[in-house]
Amino acid sequence: MTRMGEIEGHCTGRPGAREKWYRWLLALYPRDHRREHAEEMVGVLLAAAGAALVPGPRPAAWALRLGQDTVDSADLIAGALRIRGRMTLKRIKRARWLSRTARDQRWRDALAVVSVVAPLLLLVAALAEFSIPQVAASSITGHPHWRLDTYISASDLPLAVGAPAVAVLALLRRRRSAALVAVATAIGLIVVEADPAIGGYASPAVAFSILLAGTAAAALQLSPGPERGLAVLTGRGAALVGAGGLILGGFSVGGIAWLGHQNPQLGFTSFNSEVAGLPADLLIAAVLVGMAVFCLRTPVSRRVLVLLAIPVLPYAFLWQEKLAGDLLGPLGAAPGVIPSTIPLLYLPPLILACLIVAGTRLARHRSAGRTRQVRSRAAPAGPRGAVRA
Amino acid sequence: MQEPTFLILTALAAGAQHGYGIMTDVARISDGRVRLRAGTLYAALDRLKADGLVTGDKEEIVGGRLRRYYRITDEGTEELAAEVRRLRANAAVAASRLGLAGGTA
Repeated sequence: MTRMGEIEGHCTGRPGAREKWYRWLLALYPRDHRREHAEEMVGVLLAAAGAALVPGPRPAAWALRLGQDTVDSADLIAGALRIRGRMTLKRIKRARWLSRTARDQRWRDALAVVSVVAPLLLLVAALAEFSIPQVAASSITGHPHWRLDTYISASDLPLAVGAPAVAVLALLRRRRSAALVAVATAIGLIVVEADPAIGGYASPAVAFSILLAGTAAAALQLSPGPERGLAVLTGRGAALVGAGGLILGGFSVGGIAWLGHQNPQLGFTSFNSEVAGLPADLLIAAVLVGMAVFCLRTPVSRRVLVLLAIPVLPYAFLWQEKLAGDLLGPLGAAPGVIPSTIPLLYLPPLILACLIVAGTRLARHRSAGRTRQVRSRAAPAGPRGAVRA
Repeated sequence: MQEPTFLILTALAAGAQHGYGIMTDVARISDGRVRLRAGTLYAALDRLKADGLVTGDKEEIVGGRLRRYYRITDEGTEELAAEVRRLRANAAVAASRLGLAGGTA
């Protein structure tokens, strides 16, 4: 009997601790792989463990066996991760709904436009971190308080580093690299904002930045890129986008840009209504409505509107907070303000994104059904057709 | 081609083998330098099967346990032969530059 046979012979009865442990680790493998290979893998593992037994003093042999078991266990886990990773990649390649969505020319063009607009807005959001648009806005409105903010905290880093990198890479036509950096920016924001002391996910400005980085990544990855986006954008469209981005950034991106320091009790000055009060609220609303109306004109621009609505939805919370502050006084005392919560900030954009995917899938199925009908009508009608002919 | 893949295909080039047989054969071929473990082996076999380089052969029950044999496919043989040619050419150039006996380039 071979060494393997000997080990197997020992293991045909009640499974030992080692076999149980291997089976427990094998549960990490995908079910199909387990069904096909688990039994033979257990046999191989036990055979290899038996072959590795070295006669010698008990503590040394025990330590050696423990070391072997540890290496085998780590190898099993690594193997499971490799197989699962490969399966996931295969599934992603197979599930082409993303690329199919982007295969529709109108969605491709819309995504291309968003691949221009979203990095631009992201850059504006990053500039707002250093109060650059606010300083510009203050100089226009004559407001004396805003100074250039050169302090960078850990929470500023993802946006401060990621946003310019995305914009520069997009400009250099490195679409995929820009998409990767946008993903890294979104992940970075999610990580640094995990600390509630920093502001947390319930901040509309944070939600806006995270969703904007995610939208930029999706647009850059799935579209032909900013080059096509600029070609699709008419001169008027580009001017509107630029002006809109600057106005939104200058007057509003980031909670502090609007609201000043929010806790006067701690000795900070509240800037409510001072940087740009009610006129700015109305200007921002007018810009948003103007852009929305402009986007209703063509099928591509309507899709652009829907895509940009994903990050802009949390923006509505910022706007109503500012409006309430400007109309009714300091933020804490303003009645009627809808408090921003994580579900309210993230669920509507998520639902919208799901609706876009579901809608495009439905439209594609209908289109495929219509194509099949047309083909079946165009095809020869068999014997009856032959008689007619 | 990665070394474990090369060694697994080499082990199977001599004939169909079961998992433990491949492990011991690979250790023998590499003079004990490469010791495949079950996790690495089955992840590699899974990939090689998906790529069509290896396929399942007969199955048998030994000592109450399933033993499945694997064999190299024609595609796997071609791939291995191509890799051997590539390695041989590289080795010949390296040997020639080092002034070792057997260098041809």
